[in-house]
Amino acid sequence: MRTRTVQRALLVTLGLGLLVGAGWWWSRRARPSEAPAPAAADSARAGVRSVQLYFAAASGDSLVSESREVVDAPDVGRRVRVLVSELDRGPRGSGVAALPAGTGVLRCYLDDTGSLTLDLTGAFRQGFRGGSTAEYLAIASLVRTLGANLPEVKRVLIVCAGRPITTLGGHLPLDQPLDVQDWP
Amino acid sequence: MSAPQPGRPGSAGVAASRALPRRRSPVCGVALVALLLLALPLAARADWRSAPRGEGPDSAPIQTIDGVPYVAVNDLARLLDATKFWRSDLRRLVLRTGAHNLTFVADGPFAVVDERTFWLGAPVISRGGELQVPAAFVDSLAPDSTLPRLRRDARGRNIFVLPPSGYVGTPELQAGESATTLAFPASRPDEALVVTRSRRDFRVRFGGLFTGVLPDSMPSPSLVREIRPIASAGGCAFELRIDPAAGSFSLVSDGRGRVTLVFSRATDAGEAFALEDPAGPRALRVIVLDPGHGGTDAGVIVQDTREKDLTLALALRLRAALAHVLPGTRVVLTRDGDQDVPAEARAESANRARADLVLSLHFDGFGAGRSRGASAWCPPATYSETRAAAHPPGRPMPTPSLVTLLPWRDVAARHGVQSRALAEALLSALELGGQGPTRLREQLPVALLGVNAPGILLECATLTSPADRDRVTQDAGLEALAEAIAQGVAAYQRNP
Repeated sequence: MRTRTVQRALLVTLGLGLLVGAGWWWSRRARPSEAPAPAAADSARAGVRSVQLYFAAASGDSLVSESREVVDAPDVGRRVRVLVSELDRGPRGSGVAALPAGTGVLRCYLDDTGSLTLDLTGAFRQGFRGGSTAEYLAIASLVRTLGANLPEVKRVLIVCAGRPITTLGGHLPLDQPLDVQDWP
Repeated sequence: MSAPQPGRPGSAGVAASRALPRRRSPVCGVALVALLLLALPLAARADWRSAPRGEGPDSAPIQTIDGVPYVAVNDLARLLDATKFWRSDLRRLVLRTGAHNLTFVADGPFAVVDERTFWLGAPVISRGGELQVPAAFVDSLAPDSTLPRLRRDARGRNIFVLPPSGYVGTPELQAGESATTLAFPASRPDEALVVTRSRRDFRVRFGGLFTGVLPDSMPSPSLVREIRPIASAGGCAFELRIDPAAGSFSLVSDGRGRVTLVFSRATDAGEAFALEDPAGPRALRVIVLDPGHGGTDAGVIVQDTREKDLTLALALRLRAALAHVLPGTRVVLTRDGDQDVPAEARAESANRARADLVLSLHFDGFGAGRSRGASAWCPPATYSETRAAAHPPGRPMPTPSLVTLLPWRDVAARHGVQSRALAEALLSALELGGQGPTRLREQLPVALLGVNAPGILLECATLTSPADRDRVTQDAGLEALAEAIAQGVAAYQRNP
């Protein structure tokens, strides 16, 4: 009977010892050895801002949104480039990339009326594959992302490699500026 | 009475305490492990009060205590994006947001915002270890560009942050014998726009988020039968069903934050609705079938299946099926071989043939196989004739005071109501034939640019879906598809 009690006491002591040891090891591990270095994005000149990106839902029925932190840009032109670059990088969540791979911005110009002329690289047109759903989602992903993050943009005219285009895949017209509110 | 704990009791400030480096002792480590184990069952309930963050505005609930509406101070801090500073000896809480300080004292009926003092109508109280602030405080906050703007919802159940894009509030409906008005409070009234003007699917769009509530039912004399919110990017939009007795409408913005839609029984009291066919069978003398792509443009290619071949094969079968269900109707094809046909030439073919209906046939392709089914694209009903043209027969012609110009490119918008009816009839037939799921999108497709007739672009199936592809690449499947489309056209012609 006494041996059993001693065994139990030993087991409890061993268990507590293990728990204390694990706690000590964890606290030693968690203790910072020196002051943390500033993150790469931390600087006096460039802040970080959250942007809302729109990708295609896997079912093709709609767009899905995704938040992402990007380094803030000082002007609209560079913000547009960053947004298109993030769209081209693709989703991290459940969505599907809607822009043709390799799409980038060559130039862009925003006038006083909120009309953005967006000159995209040739990959936008050459890389497109699919039907009207893929075409709709590619344009909607682009237009809605720009509209959501740049309130000053009201309409988007898409041109490609410096030239006007009438359509991306033959289903939806691109010969006129697109109202950002028409692409839910 | 115990001291309330709005932030971290006794702390100098949450932000300051986060910045300090901490040393953890072994006992702390053990205690943390034990606390984590204890907290596991509670984890699922941890965020029960947080409003979902997403498309809607950030909000917090209002609770009534002794007949007074209150909001929890932690919720208020969250909505204002504020840091909390609690002085237990003074029982005073300061919320610091940007350059502003908001001060509350437990059991005190005042709030101090920067240098100004506000009477709250009821004291700040403590419940469950948390300060509760009278919701009336929200109304006393002056508009300030550096402070989030808070507002109570129409039913007084929540406080929400007004989005920077503006808001649209609960509409007020007034239904009279001759007219029905629907007035929306809107922070950006100049952005209100009637998008489609069909009586059946009348759509209006606003800049700003909808923060109000819509009526569940309409009074009997109302010309607005139904109203429901619909998706809109960067704002909000509503779809209304208007009584056929309505003769005209107008959209009036008073420039003081109010947008009023007026629906009148008179035909000369405003703008006309989109053209509608009278009930009864429609005359379908000429149907134009437009097999999509062709020549160097193969369309969607999946394995050995090319869209251009399928659209032509389907058009030929559909011509035969239509001859069976609509005898006497002439069917014209924009191409009968594998050749390039520009969009302008296809539109010209339809217009020269004086088409009563245009069907542009396509097959879809998207993604890696999860998308399937059929889609129809039809022009939105954005156009209406002048008042003179819309007047009912037998009544004196009102003086035309509006000239509506429509670019020829968008001429298909004249037939928006009929095109939508056609799309619904065809999609319904495809669903009944087991060829769904189906989607309807109201956007003018390239195939209908410059086409002066009711028409749609129909993506008959999705070739990237193995099931759809297997079905339509077999003779029986293509035949069944042609039959279903022909039945849909016949239903459109019957116009039940």
